[in-house]
Amino acid sequence: MPFVKSNAPANTGPARRDMGADVAHLQSGDLETRWNAARALGGCAEAVPALAAALAAEHAPQVREALATALLRVGNEASVAALIPHIRSPDAALRAIAIEALQALPDATRPFMQRLLADDDMDVRILALELLRGMPAAEATRLACGVLEREQHPNVCAAAIDVLAETGTPVAVPVLRACASRFAGTPFIPFAVSAAIARISAES
Amino acid sequence: MSGSEAPRASAVTVRQEDVRRLCDFLYRRTGMLFAEDKRYYIDRRLEERIAATGAESFQAYFALLRSDADHEIQYLVNAFTVNETYFYREEHQLRCMTSDLLDDIVQRKPVGETIRIWSVPCATGEEPYSICMWLMENFSRVDSYNIEIVGSDIDTRALKAAAEGVYGKRALMRLPQGLVDRYFEKDGPDKYRIDAGLRNSVTFTAVNLVDSQGMAQHRDFDIVFCRNVLIYFDDASRRLAAENLYDCIQPGGYICLGHSETMSRISPLFNVCRYPDAIVYRKPVREHD
Repeated sequence: MPFVKSNAPANTGPARRDMGADVAHLQSGDLETRWNAARALGGCAEAVPALAAALAAEHAPQVREALATALLRVGNEASVAALIPHIRSPDAALRAIAIEALQALPDATRPFMQRLLADDDMDVRILALELLRGMPAAEATRLACGVLEREQHPNVCAAAIDVLAETGTPVAVPVLRACASRFAGTPFIPFAVSAAIARISAES
Repeated sequence: MSGSEAPRASAVTVRQEDVRRLCDFLYRRTGMLFAEDKRYYIDRRLEERIAATGAESFQAYFALLRSDADHEIQYLVNAFTVNETYFYREEHQLRCMTSDLLDDIVQRKPVGETIRIWSVPCATGEEPYSICMWLMENFSRVDSYNIEIVGSDIDTRALKAAAEGVYGKRALMRLPQGLVDRYFEKDGPDKYRIDAGLRNSVTFTAVNLVDSQGMAQHRDFDIVFCRNVLIYFDDASRRLAAENLYDCIQPGGYICLGHSETMSRISPLFNVCRYPDAIVYRKPVREHD
Protein backbone atom coordinates (compact mmCIF):
# COMPACT_ATOMS: atom_id res chain seq x y z
CA MET A 1 0.00 0.00 0.00
CA PRO A 2 1.22 3.51 -0.76
CA PHE A 3 -0.06 4.85 2.53
CA VAL A 4 2.28 5.84 5.31
CA LYS A 5 1.30 6.35 8.90
CA SER A 6 1.27 9.92 10.04
CA ASN A 7 2.96 10.65 13.33
CA ALA A 8 0.23 11.27 15.88
CA PRO A 9 0.56 14.77 17.25
CA ALA A 10 2.34 15.00 20.57
CA ASN A 11 0.28 16.35 23.41
CA THR A 12 2.65 19.12 24.33
CA GLY A 13 0.19 21.32 26.20
CA PRO A 14 -0.30 25.00 25.61
CA ALA A 15 2.74 26.82 24.31
CA ARG A 16 3.72 29.93 26.26
CA ARG A 17 3.69 33.08 24.19
CA ASP A 18 5.04 36.48 24.93
CA MET A 19 2.20 38.96 24.59
CA GLY A 20 4.59 41.89 24.27
CA ALA A 21 6.37 40.20 21.39
CA ASP A 22 3.07 39.37 19.70
CA VAL A 23 1.95 42.99 20.02
CA ALA A 24 5.21 44.13 18.45
CA HIS A 25 4.80 41.58 15.66
CA LEU A 26 1.50 43.19 14.68
CA GLN A 27 3.67 45.91 13.11
CA SER A 28 5.94 43.47 11.24
CA GLY A 29 6.55 43.93 7.54
CA ASP A 30 5.96 40.21 7.07
CA LEU A 31 2.34 39.23 6.50
CA GLU A 32 2.65 35.80 8.07
CA THR A 33 4.22 37.26 11.20
CA ARG A 34 1.34 39.72 11.54
CA TRP A 35 -1.17 36.92 10.93
CA ASN A 36 0.39 34.71 13.59
CA ALA A 37 0.54 37.59 16.08
CA ALA A 38 -3.11 38.50 15.51
CA ARG A 39 -4.10 34.84 15.95
CA ALA A 40 -2.05 34.52 19.13
CA LEU A 41 -3.64 37.63 20.66
CA GLY A 42 -7.19 36.36 20.16
CA GLY A 43 -9.12 36.62 23.40
CA CYS A 44 -6.40 38.67 25.11
CA ALA A 45 -8.20 41.65 26.66
CA GLU A 46 -4.97 43.54 27.39
CA ALA A 47 -4.14 43.50 23.70
CA VAL A 48 -7.34 45.25 22.57
CA PRO A 49 -5.70 48.69 22.04
CA ALA A 50 -2.90 47.12 19.98
CA LEU A 51 -5.34 45.00 17.97
CA ALA A 52 -7.50 48.06 17.33
CA ALA A 53 -4.52 50.10 16.14
CA ALA A 54 -3.35 47.25 13.93
CA LEU A 55 -6.80 46.85 12.38
CA ALA A 56 -6.82 50.55 11.52
CA ALA A 57 -3.45 50.26 9.77
CA GLU A 58 -3.73 46.81 8.21
CA HIS A 59 -4.38 46.33 4.49
CA ALA A 60 -3.94 42.57 3.97
CA PRO A 61 -7.45 41.03 3.97
CA GLN A 62 -6.47 37.85 5.77
CA VAL A 63 -4.69 39.72 8.58
CA ARG A 64 -7.68 42.05 8.93
CA GLU A 65 -9.84 38.96 9.35
CA ALA A 66 -7.55 37.58 12.02
CA LEU A 67 -7.49 40.94 13.85
CA ALA A 68 -11.29 41.16 13.80
CA THR A 69 -11.58 37.58 15.03
CA ALA A 70 -9.07 38.33 17.79
CA LEU A 71 -11.17 41.31 18.93
CA LEU A 72 -14.32 39.24 18.62
CA ARG A 73 -12.82 36.56 20.85
CA VAL A 74 -12.20 39.15 23.54
CA GLY A 75 -15.85 40.04 23.12
CA ASN A 76 -16.04 42.83 25.70
CA GLU A 77 -17.13 46.44 25.37
CA ALA A 78 -13.56 47.56 24.72
CA SER A 79 -13.31 45.29 21.70
CA VAL A 80 -16.67 46.53 20.44
CA ALA A 81 -15.47 50.12 20.90
CA ALA A 82 -12.41 49.20 18.84
CA LEU A 83 -14.52 47.80 16.01
CA ILE A 84 -17.16 50.51 15.83
CA PRO A 85 -15.01 53.26 14.22
CA HIS A 86 -14.46 50.98 11.24
CA ILE A 87 -18.12 51.00 10.27
CA ARG A 88 -17.42 54.60 9.14
CA SER A 89 -14.44 53.56 7.05
CA PRO A 90 -14.38 54.62 3.39
CA ASP A 91 -13.02 51.10 2.76
CA ALA A 92 -16.06 48.87 2.10
CA ALA A 93 -14.18 45.68 2.94
CA LEU A 94 -13.17 47.04 6.33
CA ARG A 95 -16.74 48.20 7.01
CA ALA A 96 -17.96 44.70 6.20
CA ILE A 97 -15.38 43.10 8.50
CA ALA A 98 -16.41 45.40 11.36
CA ILE A 99 -20.13 44.82 10.88
CA GLU A 100 -19.72 41.03 10.69
CA ALA A 101 -17.65 41.04 13.86
CA LEU A 102 -20.12 43.28 15.69
CA GLN A 103 -23.03 41.09 14.58
CA ALA A 104 -21.36 38.22 16.36
CA LEU A 105 -21.23 40.24 19.61
CA PRO A 106 -24.82 41.26 20.31
CA ASP A 107 -24.43 41.46 24.08
CA ALA A 108 -21.32 43.59 24.08
CA THR A 109 -22.69 45.78 21.29
CA ARG A 110 -25.96 46.50 23.12
CA PRO A 111 -24.70 49.48 25.19
CA PHE A 112 -23.60 51.24 21.99
CA MET A 113 -26.80 50.78 20.01
CA GLN A 114 -28.74 53.87 21.01
CA ARG A 115 -25.83 56.10 20.06
CA LEU A 116 -25.20 54.31 16.77
CA LEU A 117 -28.86 54.43 15.79
CA ALA A 118 -28.84 58.20 16.39
CA ASP A 119 -25.53 58.83 14.64
CA ASP A 120 -25.24 61.92 12.42
CA ASP A 121 -24.13 59.74 9.51
CA MET A 122 -27.06 58.09 7.77
CA ASP A 123 -24.90 55.19 6.55
CA VAL A 124 -23.85 54.43 10.12
CA ARG A 125 -27.51 54.39 11.19
CA ILE A 126 -28.32 51.94 8.39
CA LEU A 127 -25.41 49.66 9.29
CA ALA A 128 -26.34 49.85 12.96
CA LEU A 129 -29.82 48.60 12.10
CA GLU A 130 -28.18 45.51 10.63
CA LEU A 131 -26.79 44.73 14.08
CA LEU A 132 -30.31 44.42 15.45
CA ARG A 133 -30.87 41.21 13.51
CA GLY A 134 -28.74 39.29 15.99
CA MET A 135 -30.52 40.63 19.06
CA PRO A 136 -33.53 39.20 20.88
CA ALA A 137 -36.78 40.01 19.07
CA ALA A 138 -38.26 42.20 21.80
CA GLU A 139 -35.17 44.35 22.06
CA ALA A 140 -34.66 44.58 18.30
CA THR A 141 -38.31 45.60 17.94
CA ARG A 142 -38.01 48.29 20.59
CA LEU A 143 -34.88 49.81 19.06
CA ALA A 144 -36.10 49.63 15.45
CA CYS A 145 -39.43 51.19 16.47
CA GLY A 146 -37.51 54.00 18.16
CA VAL A 147 -35.75 54.67 14.87
CA LEU A 148 -39.02 54.67 12.92
CA GLU A 149 -40.57 57.18 15.33
CA ARG A 150 -37.84 59.81 14.95
CA GLU A 151 -36.05 59.10 11.67
CA GLN A 152 -36.42 61.59 8.83
CA HIS A 153 -34.60 59.76 6.05
CA PRO A 154 -36.67 57.22 4.11
CA ASN A 155 -33.68 54.95 3.44
CA VAL A 156 -33.00 54.56 7.14
CA CYS A 157 -36.69 53.92 7.76
CA ALA A 158 -36.64 51.29 5.01
CA ALA A 159 -33.72 49.56 6.73
CA ALA A 160 -35.61 49.61 10.04
CA ILE A 161 -38.75 48.23 8.37
CA ASP A 162 -36.67 45.45 6.84
CA VAL A 163 -35.33 44.52 10.28
CA LEU A 164 -38.86 44.53 11.73
CA ALA A 165 -40.11 42.33 8.90
CA GLU A 166 -37.56 39.75 10.02
CA THR A 167 -37.56 40.09 13.80
CA GLY A 168 -40.48 42.38 14.71
CA THR A 169 -43.16 41.52 17.24
CA PRO A 170 -46.82 42.71 17.06
CA VAL A 171 -46.01 45.80 19.15
CA ALA A 172 -44.31 47.19 16.05
CA VAL A 173 -47.48 47.26 13.95
CA PRO A 174 -48.87 50.68 15.06
CA VAL A 175 -45.40 52.22 14.72
CA LEU A 176 -45.08 50.77 11.22
CA ARG A 177 -48.50 52.16 10.26
CA ALA A 178 -47.55 55.60 11.53
CA CYS A 179 -44.36 55.48 9.52
CA ALA A 180 -46.29 54.53 6.36
CA SER A 181 -48.58 57.55 6.90
CA ARG A 182 -45.64 59.87 7.46
CA PHE A 183 -43.96 58.73 4.22
CA ALA A 184 -47.15 58.37 2.19
CA GLY A 185 -45.52 60.32 -0.64
CA THR A 186 -42.61 57.85 -0.83
CA PRO A 187 -44.39 54.79 -2.25
CA PHE A 188 -41.79 52.19 -1.36
CA ILE A 189 -42.20 52.91 2.36
CA PRO A 190 -45.96 52.07 2.58
CA PHE A 191 -45.24 49.04 0.37
CA ALA A 192 -42.44 47.83 2.67
CA VAL A 193 -44.62 48.51 5.74
CA SER A 194 -47.45 46.38 4.30
CA ALA A 195 -45.06 43.53 3.66
CA ALA A 196 -43.60 43.80 7.17
CA ILE A 197 -47.02 43.90 8.85
CA ALA A 198 -48.16 40.90 6.82
CA ARG A 199 -45.07 38.98 7.92
CA ILE A 200 -45.42 39.95 11.59
CA SER A 201 -49.16 39.15 11.60
CA ALA A 202 -48.56 35.76 10.00
CA GLU A 203 -46.10 34.82 12.72
CA SER A 204 -48.05 36.14 15.70
CA MET B 1 -20.40 5.65 36.86
CA SER B 2 -19.28 5.13 33.36
CA GLY B 3 -19.78 6.97 30.13
CA SER B 4 -20.10 3.68 28.31
CA GLU B 5 -23.14 2.57 30.27
CA ALA B 6 -26.25 2.03 28.21
CA PRO B 7 -28.44 5.11 28.45
CA ARG B 8 -31.60 4.75 30.46
CA ALA B 9 -34.47 7.07 31.12
CA SER B 10 -33.85 9.76 33.69
CA ALA B 11 -36.50 10.83 36.18
CA VAL B 12 -34.82 14.20 36.59
CA THR B 13 -36.79 17.24 35.46
CA VAL B 14 -34.90 19.57 33.16
CA ARG B 15 -36.13 23.17 32.98
CA GLN B 16 -35.72 25.64 30.17
CA GLU B 17 -33.23 27.59 32.25
CA ASP B 18 -31.17 24.41 32.77
CA VAL B 19 -31.07 23.78 29.04
CA ARG B 20 -29.86 27.32 28.47
CA ARG B 21 -27.07 26.90 31.00
CA LEU B 22 -26.01 23.63 29.45
CA CYS B 23 -26.03 25.12 25.94
CA ASP B 24 -23.94 28.07 27.11
CA PHE B 25 -21.49 25.68 28.69
CA LEU B 26 -21.28 23.51 25.58
CA TYR B 27 -20.78 26.58 23.43
CA ARG B 28 -17.95 27.95 25.57
CA ARG B 29 -16.17 24.61 25.65
CA THR B 30 -16.67 23.40 22.06
CA GLY B 31 -18.15 26.16 19.89
CA MET B 32 -21.16 23.94 19.18
CA LEU B 33 -24.32 25.97 19.23
CA PHE B 34 -27.70 24.43 19.96
CA ALA B 35 -30.68 26.74 19.63
CA GLU B 36 -33.77 26.35 21.76
CA ASP B 37 -35.67 24.95 18.79
CA LYS B 38 -33.49 21.84 19.23
CA ARG B 39 -34.94 21.31 22.67
CA TYR B 40 -36.03 17.71 22.05
CA TYR B 41 -32.61 16.77 20.72
CA ILE B 42 -30.90 18.43 23.67
CA ASP B 43 -33.25 16.97 26.30
CA ARG B 44 -32.80 13.41 25.09
CA ARG B 45 -29.04 13.56 25.21
CA LEU B 46 -28.94 15.41 28.49
CA GLU B 47 -31.32 12.93 30.10
CA GLU B 48 -29.13 10.08 28.85
CA ARG B 49 -26.06 11.59 30.46
CA ILE B 50 -27.87 12.39 33.73
CA ALA B 51 -29.05 8.79 33.89
CA ALA B 52 -25.62 7.38 33.00
CA THR B 53 -23.91 9.39 35.74
CA GLY B 54 -26.60 8.74 38.33
CA ALA B 55 -26.96 12.43 39.10
CA GLU B 56 -30.08 13.18 41.14
CA SER B 57 -30.77 16.61 39.70
CA PHE B 58 -29.69 18.83 36.88
CA GLN B 59 -27.73 20.91 39.38
CA ALA B 60 -25.86 17.82 40.56
CA TYR B 61 -25.11 16.83 36.99
CA PHE B 62 -24.00 20.32 36.06
CA ALA B 63 -21.63 20.47 39.02
CA LEU B 64 -20.16 17.15 37.92
CA LEU B 65 -19.84 18.44 34.38
CA ARG B 66 -18.13 21.65 35.40
CA SER B 67 -15.59 19.78 37.48
CA ASP B 68 -15.14 17.38 34.54
CA ALA B 69 -15.36 14.46 36.94
CA ASP B 70 -14.69 11.16 35.13
CA HIS B 71 -14.23 13.07 31.83
CA GLU B 72 -17.92 13.91 31.73
CA ILE B 73 -17.36 16.80 29.33
CA GLN B 74 -16.06 14.39 26.71
CA TYR B 75 -18.97 12.00 27.26
CA LEU B 76 -21.42 14.85 26.87
CA VAL B 77 -19.71 16.03 23.67
CA ASN B 78 -19.82 12.48 22.37
CA ALA B 79 -23.57 12.35 23.06
CA PHE B 80 -24.15 15.60 21.20
CA THR B 81 -22.22 14.81 18.04
CA VAL B 82 -23.86 13.11 15.08
CA ASN B 83 -21.93 10.25 13.59
CA GLU B 84 -24.16 8.71 10.97
CA THR B 85 -22.43 8.59 7.61
CA TYR B 86 -21.50 6.06 4.93
CA PHE B 87 -18.74 5.11 2.52
CA TYR B 88 -18.33 7.15 -0.68
CA ARG B 89 -20.65 9.86 0.63
CA GLU B 90 -20.41 12.94 -1.63
CA GLU B 91 -18.51 10.86 -4.16
CA HIS B 92 -18.25 13.84 -6.52
CA GLN B 93 -15.69 15.39 -4.18
CA LEU B 94 -13.60 12.24 -4.21
CA ARG B 95 -13.75 12.34 -8.01
CA CYS B 96 -12.68 15.99 -7.92
CA MET B 97 -9.76 15.04 -5.68
CA THR B 98 -8.31 12.60 -8.22
CA SER B 99 -9.34 14.36 -11.42
CA ASP B 100 -8.25 17.89 -10.46
CA LEU B 101 -6.85 18.58 -7.00
CA LEU B 102 -4.09 15.97 -6.96
CA ASP B 103 -3.02 16.90 -10.50
CA ASP B 104 -2.34 20.38 -9.23
CA ILE B 105 -0.70 19.22 -6.01
CA VAL B 106 1.72 16.77 -7.67
CA GLN B 107 2.96 19.53 -9.95
CA ARG B 108 4.53 21.08 -6.85
CA LYS B 109 5.72 17.79 -5.34
CA PRO B 110 8.53 15.63 -6.71
CA VAL B 111 7.78 11.91 -6.98
CA GLY B 112 8.45 10.18 -3.67
CA GLU B 113 7.29 13.08 -1.50
CA THR B 114 4.37 12.87 0.88
CA ILE B 115 0.82 13.96 0.13
CA ARG B 116 -1.14 14.69 3.29
CA ILE B 117 -4.92 14.40 3.41
CA TRP B 118 -7.09 15.17 6.44
CA SER B 119 -10.65 14.12 7.15
CA VAL B 120 -12.07 16.28 9.93
CA PRO B 121 -14.49 15.51 11.46
CA CYS B 122 -14.12 11.87 10.46
CA ALA B 123 -16.88 10.44 12.72
CA THR B 124 -16.54 6.64 12.72
CA GLY B 125 -13.99 6.52 9.90
CA GLU B 126 -16.08 6.06 6.77
CA GLU B 127 -14.62 9.15 5.13
CA PRO B 128 -10.87 8.58 5.64
CA TYR B 129 -11.24 4.92 4.61
CA SER B 130 -13.27 6.04 1.58
CA ILE B 131 -10.40 8.35 0.64
CA CYS B 132 -7.96 5.42 0.89
CA MET B 133 -10.14 3.20 -1.28
CA TRP B 134 -10.80 5.90 -3.81
CA LEU B 135 -7.09 6.65 -4.17
CA MET B 136 -6.28 2.96 -4.56
CA GLU B 137 -8.90 2.65 -7.27
CA ASN B 138 -8.63 5.98 -9.08
CA PHE B 139 -5.30 7.76 -8.54
CA SER B 140 -2.93 6.56 -11.25
CA ARG B 141 0.15 7.80 -9.38
CA VAL B 142 -0.82 6.28 -6.09
CA ASP B 143 2.41 4.26 -5.96
CA SER B 144 4.62 7.24 -6.80
CA TYR B 145 3.95 9.10 -3.58
CA ASN B 146 3.80 8.51 0.11
CA ILE B 147 0.27 9.31 1.18
CA GLU B 148 -0.63 10.16 4.76
CA ILE B 149 -4.26 10.10 5.73
CA VAL B 150 -5.38 11.47 9.08
CA GLY B 151 -8.90 11.23 10.46
CA SER B 152 -9.83 13.49 13.37
CA ASP B 153 -12.91 14.11 15.44
CA ILE B 154 -13.94 15.72 18.71
CA ASP B 155 -15.79 12.51 19.65
CA THR B 156 -13.33 10.01 21.13
CA ARG B 157 -15.96 7.27 21.13
CA ALA B 158 -16.33 7.68 17.37
CA LEU B 159 -12.55 7.61 16.95
CA LYS B 160 -12.35 4.32 18.81
CA ALA B 161 -14.97 2.86 16.48
CA ALA B 162 -13.11 4.28 13.48
CA ALA B 163 -9.91 2.54 14.51
CA GLU B 164 -11.79 -0.74 14.93
CA GLY B 165 -13.25 -0.30 11.45
CA VAL B 166 -16.36 -2.48 11.81
CA TYR B 167 -19.47 -1.37 9.91
CA GLY B 168 -23.02 -2.44 9.27
CA LYS B 169 -24.57 -2.94 5.86
CA ARG B 170 -26.04 0.54 5.82
CA ALA B 171 -22.62 2.19 5.84
CA LEU B 172 -21.64 0.15 2.78
CA MET B 173 -24.80 0.88 0.77
CA ARG B 174 -23.05 3.05 -1.85
CA LEU B 175 -20.11 0.72 -2.45
CA PRO B 176 -20.05 -1.60 -5.46
CA GLN B 177 -19.81 -5.25 -4.42
CA GLY B 178 -16.34 -5.48 -5.94
CA LEU B 179 -15.03 -2.89 -3.51
CA VAL B 180 -16.71 -4.59 -0.56
CA ASP B 181 -15.05 -7.86 -1.58
CA ARG B 182 -11.69 -6.18 -2.03
CA TYR B 183 -11.51 -4.01 1.10
CA PHE B 184 -13.73 -5.67 3.70
CA GLU B 185 -13.95 -8.98 5.50
CA LYS B 186 -17.07 -10.41 7.11
CA ASP B 187 -17.14 -9.84 10.84
CA GLY B 188 -20.32 -11.54 11.98
CA PRO B 189 -23.90 -11.25 10.76
CA ASP B 190 -24.31 -8.08 8.70
CA LYS B 191 -21.00 -6.75 9.96
CA TYR B 192 -17.98 -5.97 7.85
CA ARG B 193 -14.49 -5.04 8.95
CA ILE B 194 -12.29 -2.85 6.83
CA ASP B 195 -9.15 -4.53 5.55
CA ALA B 196 -6.20 -4.44 8.01
CA GLY B 197 -4.00 -2.74 5.43
CA LEU B 198 -6.36 0.21 5.21
CA ARG B 199 -6.95 0.24 8.95
CA ASN B 200 -3.25 0.62 9.49
CA SER B 201 -3.02 3.36 6.88
CA VAL B 202 -5.05 5.95 8.70
CA THR B 203 -3.97 7.81 11.82
CA PHE B 204 -6.84 8.88 14.06
CA THR B 205 -6.56 11.86 16.38
CA ALA B 206 -8.89 13.81 18.66
CA VAL B 207 -9.30 17.44 17.71
CA ASN B 208 -11.60 20.36 18.41
CA LEU B 209 -11.81 22.74 15.44
CA VAL B 210 -12.08 25.82 17.66
CA ASP B 211 -9.12 24.86 19.86
CA SER B 212 -6.24 26.73 18.23
CA GLN B 213 -3.65 24.99 20.39
CA GLY B 214 -4.87 21.50 19.53
CA MET B 215 -5.26 22.39 15.88
CA ALA B 216 -1.68 23.69 15.82
CA GLN B 217 -0.54 20.08 16.11
CA HIS B 218 -2.09 19.32 12.72
CA ARG B 219 -0.15 21.03 9.96
CA ASP B 220 0.87 20.93 6.29
CA PHE B 221 -2.13 19.19 4.76
CA ASP B 222 -2.57 19.28 1.00
CA ILE B 223 -6.28 18.45 1.07
CA VAL B 224 -8.74 18.76 3.94
CA PHE B 225 -12.22 17.30 3.89
CA CYS B 226 -14.24 19.26 6.43
CA ARG B 227 -17.83 18.45 5.67
CA ASN B 228 -21.04 19.34 7.42
CA VAL B 229 -19.62 20.62 10.66
CA LEU B 230 -19.11 24.37 10.27
CA ILE B 231 -22.84 24.79 9.70
CA TYR B 232 -23.37 23.83 13.35
CA PHE B 233 -21.12 26.65 14.59
CA ASP B 234 -22.13 30.22 15.25
CA ASP B 235 -20.37 33.11 13.50
CA ALA B 236 -17.61 33.53 16.06
CA SER B 237 -16.74 29.84 16.19
CA ARG B 238 -16.91 29.50 12.42
CA ARG B 239 -14.42 32.33 12.00
CA LEU B 240 -12.06 30.78 14.50
CA ALA B 241 -12.41 27.31 12.98
CA ALA B 242 -11.79 28.71 9.48
CA GLU B 243 -8.62 30.44 10.66
CA ASN B 244 -7.46 27.31 12.45
CA LEU B 245 -8.07 25.26 9.29
CA TYR B 246 -6.23 27.86 7.21
CA ASP B 247 -3.15 27.34 9.36
CA CYS B 248 -3.38 23.56 8.89
CA ILE B 249 -3.26 23.70 5.09
CA GLN B 250 -0.22 24.10 2.86
CA PRO B 251 -0.22 27.22 0.66
CA GLY B 252 -2.01 26.09 -2.50
CA GLY B 253 -3.78 23.31 -0.59
CA TYR B 254 -7.51 22.69 -0.73
CA ILE B 255 -10.45 22.39 1.61
CA CYS B 256 -13.66 20.57 0.64
CA LEU B 257 -16.82 21.48 2.53
CA GLY B 258 -20.22 19.82 2.59
CA HIS B 259 -22.56 20.52 -0.32
CA SER B 260 -24.75 22.80 1.79
CA GLU B 261 -21.85 24.93 3.00
CA THR B 262 -19.94 27.74 1.34
CA MET B 263 -16.65 29.09 2.58
CA SER B 264 -17.49 32.53 1.19
CA ARG B 265 -19.99 32.89 4.01
CA ILE B 266 -17.57 31.40 6.46
CA SER B 267 -14.34 33.17 5.71
CA PRO B 268 -12.76 35.24 2.95
CA LEU B 269 -9.43 33.55 3.61
CA PHE B 270 -9.78 31.02 0.78
CA ASN B 271 -10.27 31.33 -2.97
CA VAL B 272 -13.18 29.57 -4.62
CA CYS B 273 -12.22 26.95 -7.25
CA ARG B 274 -14.91 25.60 -9.52
CA TYR B 275 -14.13 22.18 -10.96
CA PRO B 276 -16.43 19.98 -13.06
CA ASP B 277 -17.18 17.70 -10.11
CA ALA B 278 -17.17 20.09 -7.16
CA ILE B 279 -16.61 23.56 -5.82
CA VAL B 280 -13.69 23.57 -3.41
CA TYR B 281 -11.68 26.25 -1.62
CA ARG B 282 -7.98 26.90 -1.97
CA LYS B 283 -5.50 28.55 0.33
CA PRO B 284 -3.66 31.20 -1.69
CA VAL B 285 -0.11 30.31 -2.65
CA ARG B 286 1.08 33.87 -2.16
CA GLU B 287 -0.27 36.91 -0.35
CA HIS B 288 -2.60 38.00 -3.13
CA ASP B 289 -2.82 34.81 -5.16
